[in-house]
Amino acid sequence: MKQANHDDFQRWLHEKTRAAEPEVSAEFLAAQRRAIYRRLDEPRHKFSTRWALSLATVVLVLAGGLTLERRRPAAPAISDEQLFSDLSAMEQRTEPKAIQPIHSLFEE
Amino acid sequence: MGAMADRLEANVGALADTREFGAWMTSEQKRVFLLCRRMLNDAEEADSATQDTFLKAWQALKRPESKELDDPAKWLTRIAVNTCLDRLRSRRWQFWRKRPKPDDEETILNFASSADPNAEAQIFARQIAERIGQALTRLSLRQRAAFTLRHYEDRSMAEIAEILDLDVGTVKVHLFRATEKLREELHDLYFRDREER
Repeated sequence: MKQANHDDFQRWLHEKTRAAEPEVSAEFLAAQRRAIYRRLDEPRHKFSTRWALSLATVVLVLAGGLTLERRRPAAPAISDEQLFSDLSAMEQRTEPKAIQPIHSLFEE
Repeated sequence: MGAMADRLEANVGALADTREFGAWMTSEQKRVFLLCRRMLNDAEEADSATQDTFLKAWQALKRPESKELDDPAKWLTRIAVNTCLDRLRSRRWQFWRKRPKPDDEETILNFASSADPNAEAQIFARQIAERIGQALTRLSLRQRAAFTLRHYEDRSMAEIAEILDLDVGTVKVHLFRATEKLREELHDLYFRDREER
């Protein structure tokens, strides 16, 4: 039943699309041909405007990214000894890290 | 035109000759424009896409390595469909893009069902054409291309598959889904038309 409805609608649609053939004026087609000939005669640019715009956008985004990256403050440098001592202190800590904030409640 | 004519005289291939190309373009131009118009649903953009299609065809024919064409019309259709698909894909990003005024489109296109002299029938045919055009914009790009080639261009499944670079089974699925979507969109017109018969 569904297939029959589908086929019937398809036939109707086909009939309607064929019936609604739009008229295109001869003047419009002639003007379009002239535009095509004009474009055929133009020298072919290696890079189109669209490509140039895309390239400019990419350059701008990259430049912006680099500027932001430079502005970001550098992380404070610490010595290797300091780093190792901090790491070993963290490793030797028996208390779970999650309960550390509770200690601060009892500190004066 | 003189410089171009001189330059083109040197080309040997049949369609790569200016006069041959011009004659071929004239015979295919309306079909290609209407195909682009139906795919893009915008007369102004279809005009530009048609120009691009012939320009691409000309450039391809001018290349020394260009092969003999078995079916130039099908080859041109493929270029037109791909040009339209590219435009539709890039249109997704153009949120600022505005539709041209309906009056401007009217100057380019004059929708009329010349087969039926009845004015009421003509108005209804025009209404259906407009609704189908709007409904087509809600299909996916491949569904739209498959539908346009099948119903407006009368292409076979195999030809559509070749033009869209898909297998026949996929084309059938696209067409089935497109028809089902259009059935939902146009059911009021469909039933109205059937009741009037």
